[in-house]
Amino acid sequence: MKKLFLTFCIVFLSSFLAQSQEAVIKGRVVDTNSSVPIQDVAVSIQSSNFSTLTDADGKFMLSGANFPQGEQVLLISKDGYQAQKIQITIQNGETINLDPILLALDLTQIEAEIGTISLSDNELDQDEGTAFSVSGLLQASRDVFLNAASFDFSATFFRPRGLDNANGKVLINGIEMNKQFSGRPQWSDWGGLNDVQRNREFTMGLKANEYTFGDLAGTTNIIMRASQYRKGGRVSYALSNRSYTGRVMGSYNSGLNKEGWAYSVLLARRFATEGYVDGTSYNANSFFAAVEKKLNDSHSLNLTAFWTPNRRGRSTAITEEVYRLKGRKYNPNWGYQDGEKRNSRIRDISEPVIMLNHYWNINDKTTLNTNVAYQFGGIGNSRIDSGNNRNPLANYYQRLPSYFLRDPNPTPYDYQQAYLAEQKFIKDGQLNWESLYSANANSSSGFAQYVLQEDRVDDTQFSANSIFSTALADNIQLNAALNYRNLKSENYAEIVDLLGSNGYLDIDYFSDNNTPSDLQNPNAIINEGDRYKYNYDLNADVITAFAQVQFETTKLDYYIGANVGQTSYQRTGKFENGYFPGDRSLGDSKKENFSTYGVKGGATYKITGRHLIDLNAGYFTKAPTMRNSFANARQNNDFVVGLTEEKTQNVDLSYIYRAPLIKARLTGFYTGFSDVTDIGFFFTQNALGTDDNNAFVQEIVTGIDKRNIGVEMGIEAQVTPTLKLKAAASVGQYVYTNNPLLYLSSDDFGIDGNDISTQGQREVALKNYHVAGGPERAYQIGFEYRDPDFWWVGVTGNYFSNAYLDISNLRRTSDFYTDVDGLPFNDYDENVARELLKQEEFDDYALVNVVGGKSWKINQYYVGFFATINNVLDQKYKTGGFEDSRRANYRQQVEEQNRENGPLFGNRYFYANGTTYYLNVYVRF
Amino acid sequence: MKNLKIYKLLILIFATTMAISCIQDDDFDTPALTVEPPVLHGTEITIDALKQLLVTEQTNNGNDILTIEEDYYITGYVISNDEFGNFFEEILLQDAPENPTTGVKVLVNVNPLFATYEFGREVHVQLQGLAVGYDSGVLALGVRNGNQVDQIGEAQMTDYLKRDVTVAEMVPMPMNIADFSVDKTNLFIQLSDMQFHRNELGKTFSAEETDSFDGERVLESCATGQTAIFSTSTFADFKAVTLPEGKGTMNAILTMNFFGDAFNVVVNSPDDIHFDDTNRCDPTEVDCGLASTTGSNVIFEDFFETQTDGQPISGNGWTNYIEAGTRDWRAFFSSSTNASLGISATIGSFQSGDDSTIAWLITPQFDFDAQDGETLNFKTSNSFADGSTLDLLYSSDWDGNPANITSATWDIVPAAYIVQDGDFFGDWFDSGNVSLDCITGTGYIALRYTGSGDADFDGSYEFDEIVINSN
Repeated sequence: MKKLFLTFCIVFLSSFLAQSQEAVIKGRVVDTNSSVPIQDVAVSIQSSNFSTLTDADGKFMLSGANFPQGEQVLLISKDGYQAQKIQITIQNGETINLDPILLALDLTQIEAEIGTISLSDNELDQDEGTAFSVSGLLQASRDVFLNAASFDFSATFFRPRGLDNANGKVLINGIEMNKQFSGRPQWSDWGGLNDVQRNREFTMGLKANEYTFGDLAGTTNIIMRASQYRKGGRVSYALSNRSYTGRVMGSYNSGLNKEGWAYSVLLARRFATEGYVDGTSYNANSFFAAVEKKLNDSHSLNLTAFWTPNRRGRSTAITEEVYRLKGRKYNPNWGYQDGEKRNSRIRDISEPVIMLNHYWNINDKTTLNTNVAYQFGGIGNSRIDSGNNRNPLANYYQRLPSYFLRDPNPTPYDYQQAYLAEQKFIKDGQLNWESLYSANANSSSGFAQYVLQEDRVDDTQFSANSIFSTALADNIQLNAALNYRNLKSENYAEIVDLLGSNGYLDIDYFSDNNTPSDLQNPNAIINEGDRYKYNYDLNADVITAFAQVQFETTKLDYYIGANVGQTSYQRTGKFENGYFPGDRSLGDSKKENFSTYGVKGGATYKITGRHLIDLNAGYFTKAPTMRNSFANARQNNDFVVGLTEEKTQNVDLSYIYRAPLIKARLTGFYTGFSDVTDIGFFFTQNALGTDDNNAFVQEIVTGIDKRNIGVEMGIEAQVTPTLKLKAAASVGQYVYTNNPLLYLSSDDFGIDGNDISTQGQREVALKNYHVAGGPERAYQIGFEYRDPDFWWVGVTGNYFSNAYLDISNLRRTSDFYTDVDGLPFNDYDENVARELLKQEEFDDYALVNVVGGKSWKINQYYVGFFATINNVLDQKYKTGGFEDSRRANYRQQVEEQNRENGPLFGNRYFYANGTTYYLNVYVRF
Repeated sequence: MKNLKIYKLLILIFATTMAISCIQDDDFDTPALTVEPPVLHGTEITIDALKQLLVTEQTNNGNDILTIEEDYYITGYVISNDEFGNFFEEILLQDAPENPTTGVKVLVNVNPLFATYEFGREVHVQLQGLAVGYDSGVLALGVRNGNQVDQIGEAQMTDYLKRDVTVAEMVPMPMNIADFSVDKTNLFIQLSDMQFHRNELGKTFSAEETDSFDGERVLESCATGQTAIFSTSTFADFKAVTLPEGKGTMNAILTMNFFGDAFNVVVNSPDDIHFDDTNRCDPTEVDCGLASTTGSNVIFEDFFETQTDGQPISGNGWTNYIEAGTRDWRAFFSSSTNASLGISATIGSFQSGDDSTIAWLITPQFDFDAQDGETLNFKTSNSFADGSTLDLLYSSDWDGNPANITSATWDIVPAAYIVQDGDFFGDWFDSGNVSLDCITGTGYIALRYTGSGDADFDGSYEFDEIVINSN
């Protein structure tokens, strides 16, 4: 009845109000269910260039004298809604008023959104070694290749264009969230907030972005403003056997009320007693609240706060031998206590963020957005501190069969012991917590033999920025931003559980003279909650400025952008390390400053509406991350020798084809990195220049040059209105292009703290080795079927190849062939060496993934589910791994690699999950 | 209304899920570490009986190792403690907490062991399948590897070694160095009235440049003057701790060195050493220092060229006295690498079979008031002195009667350089110009040799070219 009346009104009004020579089409778009006006709905006259967007009240107006006359079709569309086609009759001098136009939510789109985010969330939560750069792809993208990369390639460590997570920028409300320490965004800091993170703006690569200069892997801005959420609530429950087994999430958004207030809240919990891998507990809560007040038409103030405390039991890379005995779910880090699996390596992340955002529409062409953010809390990683006792983990090399068979001609005793060790490892193979408590209880000194410690990084970060945007002309847009960040990062070890003992004597148990960790407080007895071993602050100040101009013309869109920045780092030692007395370790280090700049530009040339050519190029420098700036931060104030800014040059060229039924993109890319610094740490038996060649070292490699080159493509064909075929591929080559310089730092090198005086900074022969990290080649074919009845299913087949093992740098230096007297080994054989140093390439593998979902509308509720099954064929494969640098010289490697019963210190691998599922059920209102 | 109900239901479901999904990943209590009495099988035999099985095998078949086929077990009490790193991958068991008779070393490839088998713990060892033999000279249990006793693997540790509920109060067995014997190894003993030899003072337990694997220090008895080797692993936590300087008692374990050819006294930790008495029993010293030159007047001189090779030193006023044992000072000649200086004097207890060897060589009496600027010069050499020591002494109250030597007061003359164990055996070392100028009245100069109490581990000293000058 109501509808009929409205229709009547439209017809009535349209015939009487038109008086001028122009045709006017106006109207208002509202949500079918809530009747709330919808902003940014695209309205266009089919087969013409005339189009506009609705304003905040859902209103639009098109007017002109040269509209196509007569019967035309008006297209109404917006992401997330079912598009509408309305037949209209245009006549100059007539006004058509369409109010209201009812737009219904597109459930399938919502499903896809849920799917993408849930999937990626799962992969991103992995340990550092596995969290790569699907970050930017978290939104349901319209790009076929990016969809493939985020849905189907991510489980394999695949990195688009070979780029690390640190190569992408993540912003929340315009504030950069990448950590100064690693350059990477800490996704766990906003994990489980999926429902309030649907508003994402993703910019590929270095393309023009209105907030920031950006980075190679793209920029994602997550908008978490209270006023930007659609009114309504949602409750969902997810089941999975990946990292968590259950997730419950509830959220409610008020929408903007008449007084100009909006608020949004979310509560979520993710949990598992163990995930796919044994003993990987998952314990995460998520809290979010935002409130916004629209002060007047030009000013809005928004306060957003979120806190996502997260505790996860970690697993680790294992050797082939261990994998063979225990399988891919094996995790040595846990053991039973009180009948429960207790993981010794828990990662505890709790870094709340509070931000205040001010939005100022200076006029209809100019906006200024000013933000301040404060982040505190910290990250802890626990592990067992064994003092000078044998490592209690069951996969310690001296407990494995290979250890007992290490001699060339094992005796019957050796075989017996190997067999017994093997059987014990197969049957048990886990940590024995009780023996640790027992050791502490039996300790006659009263001091702990074993404790559970946590390595902590407690960051206090203040960020502020202003983002300015103005239209200089109708087709010229200027963006600029000024950013400031101050970080104080407290780094220390702390005892979290004394395991029944009375205290821990804080000395270096591997030293000859019981060297104290802090000369200011030697022989300190440490209790739970006390800091010990190391204790220092890292301070960073970063200022950056960015400007960009975008031009639009009919045939050509182009942009240029630039940024400049200043970064300074300083360490403040709070312990006076026993190996490095005085201000070498205590108090402030000197301050290192890095000046950075960047330029970029790009253009899109529209040959026709269907054929486009897109080109982007950039050159920029970056300050090294804090992690890579200090040679041995736990013990002294030394900066890395030869530290300098990283340089990056990049160019990519795309051909884009857009037809109604076929969409395709083909991109060629080239990225060159130079002066990259990398620090690793490990125990080695080949530390030349120490007393016995045994040392725990930091391996510092500076001046690394790398080149990423390749092509990526995606194509999809809408064969029928319900069936879509798609294909995607990426073929790249990511290699080192020079021989950078290496040195080692360690307290074992005496007061120097490094081996430069005895060994020098020597070359690492990295040139032409592959940079490890996921397959360099990935291919996909698949289809999606979307039934008009709101159910859908998709299947993809994926093939991966050319993935490489991370190589040991130390093995590729002169240290490899140098005997203790500084001369080459007299039995050194170059041909044998070449074989020993060959980079391992992993086997190719194929994965089949299935996704599907269905939704219903029951009264005003939307109810639906979404499910995926990954790796349907239960393919076994390695996602990554690394060589061991413990036995890093020629003779040691000849021995290791020729052991008949396997190496003692073999390569360690990450083994991928088998078949896994994810099921999400939701109710929306 | 209906809406409200559904909201309530949703909230309820939400809250319930939140509540029941609690994950326990920290906050574990210290477990109650209770020990249940073990279930044992087979027949119990004593550690001594176990040793007898091996002795019988040695006697009957000439094998120094025996694999035990029978289902026996032994019971013992742990006397070793690897907490401080001075024992490694071995547990020493003795057969009783007090007055033990036999002990055995069990080899286990586990570290640390005290976490399970702490000091005083009653432990049973199921013997079936294990082998008994000798490891570094002491009775040992383990797994047979060829003709050696090797370690029990971690996988089988608890199959063989059964912990019982008792942790006994261990009473160390009082013992004298003279009583050391292979039978007494692997026992927890107490040595009283002991101190580290004065030459060791200021050294660490085992962190000296020359220490490799073990640091060996000379321990001496104040009562008897006998010495023993005190050994500490260079992997011990307390390796860099300085040796205690006083005297007193020590609770230790009697064992043998790696080669199984000398007794070693080993402690679990420095806390077992109670050298609280600051009055060391070092001889008092007569120290006039070294003189820059010697006078031209010769008061006394003997190069032993008139002595007969192989015969006791005699004549020229010498007193050659055996305080303990069977060895006296003899003349000897050699032209080998270990050459004498013509004919020289020598003393050594090696292969003497003596429980204790103490031998004196004393000069005639001198009157130090009769002239000024007296100096003493002599030369010494050694042949693997090992645990034996040679001292230069002076007495002003000895009456010249050998029977009264031990009751007289003998002061040490520290200024002289006497060959050290580490010196090359083929060389002769000059004493330096040992000044005697500060001595008044009359007295005797003596050289005293003291064996370590383990004659097989002692060596020899050679002595020659003694000259006393004055202005």
